[in-house]
Amino acid sequence: MTVTTESRSVTAGSVDRVGRVVYGFLRALPTWILWLLVFVWSVPSGSLFLNSFRPRDAQRAHGWWASIGKEGWTFDNYLDVLESGRQTGGLAIATVNSFAIAIPATVIPIAIAAMAAYAFAWIPFKGREWLFILTVSLLALPNQVALLPLLQLFAGGAHWTVPGTGTVVTLFPDLSLAGSATAVWLTHTSFALPFAIFLLHNYISALPRELFEAARIDGADHFTIFWRLVVPLSVPALAAFTIFQFLWTWNDYLVALTMLGANGSAYPATIKIASMSGEFGRLEHLLSAGAFVQAGVPLVVFFTLQRFFVRGLLAGSVKS
Amino acid sequence: MEALTGALGGILAAIGLSTLLFVGANRLFDLIVDRWRLYMGVLGLLAGGSFFAILAGNRVLDGSSLRWVGIGALLFAGMAVLPDLVSDRRLRFVVGVLAGLSVGSVVARVVDASVRPTASPKDLVLAVGIAVAAYLAVALLRGQLRPGSLLVVVAFAWVVGTWLLGEVGGGSATAMAVAVLVPFTLVGAALGSGEQRSRVRRYDLQRKTRVGAFLGPAMFFVAMGLVIPLVRTIYLSLHGSKGKIWVGLKNYGEVLTNKKSLDLEDWTDIFGSRLTHLGVALLIFGLVAGLLIGRRRGRLLEPTTSSIGPVSVGTLLLMFAVFASLRGTVINNLWWVIVVTLLSTVLGLAAAILADQARFESLAKSLIFMPMAISFVGAGIIWRFMYIARPPQKPQTGLFNAIWVGLGTMAPSGAGQVTVVAILSGVTALLVGLGIFGIRRRQPGITIGSAFVALPILWLLYRFLGPGLGGVETGPLGDPIGKPILFVQEAPFNNVWLMVVLIWIQTGFAMVILSAAIKAVPVDLIEAARVDGATSGQVFFHVTLPTIVPTISVIVTTLIVLVMKVFDIVRVMTNGNFGTQVIANEMWQRTFTEFNLGLGSALAVVLFIAVVPVMGLNIRRMQRAGV
Repeated sequence: MTVTTESRSVTAGSVDRVGRVVYGFLRALPTWILWLLVFVWSVPSGSLFLNSFRPRDAQRAHGWWASIGKEGWTFDNYLDVLESGRQTGGLAIATVNSFAIAIPATVIPIAIAAMAAYAFAWIPFKGREWLFILTVSLLALPNQVALLPLLQLFAGGAHWTVPGTGTVVTLFPDLSLAGSATAVWLTHTSFALPFAIFLLHNYISALPRELFEAARIDGADHFTIFWRLVVPLSVPALAAFTIFQFLWTWNDYLVALTMLGANGSAYPATIKIASMSGEFGRLEHLLSAGAFVQAGVPLVVFFTLQRFFVRGLLAGSVKS
Repeated sequence: MEALTGALGGILAAIGLSTLLFVGANRLFDLIVDRWRLYMGVLGLLAGGSFFAILAGNRVLDGSSLRWVGIGALLFAGMAVLPDLVSDRRLRFVVGVLAGLSVGSVVARVVDASVRPTASPKDLVLAVGIAVAAYLAVALLRGQLRPGSLLVVVAFAWVVGTWLLGEVGGGSATAMAVAVLVPFTLVGAALGSGEQRSRVRRYDLQRKTRVGAFLGPAMFFVAMGLVIPLVRTIYLSLHGSKGKIWVGLKNYGEVLTNKKSLDLEDWTDIFGSRLTHLGVALLIFGLVAGLLIGRRRGRLLEPTTSSIGPVSVGTLLLMFAVFASLRGTVINNLWWVIVVTLLSTVLGLAAAILADQARFESLAKSLIFMPMAISFVGAGIIWRFMYIARPPQKPQTGLFNAIWVGLGTMAPSGAGQVTVVAILSGVTALLVGLGIFGIRRRQPGITIGSAFVALPILWLLYRFLGPGLGGVETGPLGDPIGKPILFVQEAPFNNVWLMVVLIWIQTGFAMVILSAAIKAVPVDLIEAARVDGATSGQVFFHVTLPTIVPTISVIVTTLIVLVMKVFDIVRVMTNGNFGTQVIANEMWQRTFTEFNLGLGSALAVVLFIAVVPVMGLNIRRMQRAGV
């Protein structure tokens, strides 16, 4: 851009120059807006994080910004919120419970879904496409629809009174699972399968056909192919789903709340911090530390394994 | 620790058992083609063992259950294998019948007298009739009828007719003999009927069993956890609060006519609202801008930043005006779905574009994406701290109210106010300069854009110079007192403040996926447009946007489904109080705290019906992709 001010009046030229400066600033504006957005997005979690290191009195007296550059930052909130007791959070036990729920609820659906995805992708049978679409379309089913019947199933089994005779036929035995972590795993397994099958099928069905033909010629049956070929080759997809499902079950509140009912000793961290936030006042000062204890594991998983997580998201929503 | 070790033990047991089952089933099915007799023998062992184990477990067999399991396994294995040792067709049948008869008579003799059934012939005829008719119908449809299968079906119906429909206990020895001998003989005859299985048929069977082994567990869980519960919820929604009395559509009527779920009384407020006026003004502004720029380019309406921006903001404001005047659970849910889906997608798109090829792109994206890792409950707590409102006399501890009250109680002509006014004036001057620059360069887009940005800044300037901006009211002594905003309690806009939480979470999701889609737009296409002299706005609206539309539609459908069932955030932040109730929370409260199963189920079904169109869309999308 060359400056040609000779034919213009001085004022017009200077206005032009100001405009160009502004225009140059505007070209850099996207970056400024981006970092402004990043800042705004980080402020809520940042505020809570800072707040979690402040003692009760300071939290009540003024906002976190007033404590910057002053004494009095402390780890006590974290120690208190982990310990169990009347005046503390009991989050240590709840965190263990969260692991006890999230690990099985991640491992079980993966194994089942990988097998199903392989069958849908590479074992031809009648009605395969139809059954696959039906299964995957359940992805959008709101979990709320299934909660009550599942709870009834776990609490008392399923029974059918034969009309006219009064005979009761037990279709599903009463395993008294209501209130146990097992009920939560089983529920998560069912809810996760449509998405898991969809994601793994996307990946497994894209494996090269020649591979399977070669294995078939060598005399390998479906079982061998699945175990020796498909599982090792699908590790990226399996990892992506593992992270996804682990975050999902770790952060779940609805399923655990419904299935565990009044069995407080099995509550995961989400229910614990939610009930802490319900009792206004008493444990308010521990709440921010509690939220970070609950979020700690997923944040570590997120920042270390983000690549896989993103890959899983992309595979789940954009079919290549 | 106990919970964790218990869980780990449970996982190991579950995995071990499933692996054993899966590997065992596959190994068993391996035998079908080449070692048919061994396969049948093992199958017989397993079936007989479990059958007698159930009998012994229910105490209808005397003596050690282990011995009975062994005996049962051998008996059944014999029945399964014997017919296949004979090749002559007629002899096979005789051997099968005899084997079934003898196993049946053993069972009839050893089983305890207390469980002898008293079946009425009427039930028996009914059960067998229905079963045979059903089998014939299926066989007719498939075009093949196998006598062996028919025999098995009759045997099954016989068992149902005598044991399930009849009364167990109090029967005679003859009744017992009839009830047991007939099905066993029929099964034996079925095993002995027809030719020995050819290799082709065995291959066919092996393929089917293999599909079963791979797909069985998944289908079991999908049926148990999703399909059957869905049917049962629909069934419950048509029944009363205890799930017993049929009430038809009464529950749905209650959901839709209740004032709490749908209240349209104040719809006239829409026209008096300031949001409406502002929205209409912006719409007109955008349309005029589009017309002006369009005339230069020879089009009726030109989609550029300066026309689309005002139009979309105006539409958004109009929508807010509508939803703020209407009330109810269903309205709130609709509001959530529209606002969160729209804003998350738009903000995600903006972040994706801004971050594309910026420095430290991945760091910026990670930070915006991070809320995705935080639970809805945790996010609710994080934002509750942002929204804290304390009594006016006390210092505000929530960031938003601290800023709001701080702005309001700024001393006139104090350092704070002077700084704010100076900054605002500077920005206004820059924008005026930019506007003139646009006119001189004959780019009305720049002028209209800067005028559009200048409007709210001028308004802010007016407020800071004149009546003041921020939460403040005059105290009893004429002194200013901070007046905080009750973000969470004050209807109807507390709904919006709750939505902000979900937008905060989901923007990252939209951004990550859109960012990948934008990077996948062919570079040649963009280069070609640039060479043809397109501005970056034109490149975006005419090249990038059309290419990523499929991705946007995926995000929008995903978000609609997700937002529709929003629960955790509302439950943690207000529990549906202060006019923020949504369907999912209402459903939970009706079902699990009031135990009104019918009404709760009806609410769940409403959620389900709302996502049915999305399901249909997904199915069509998959069919087109050709799975």
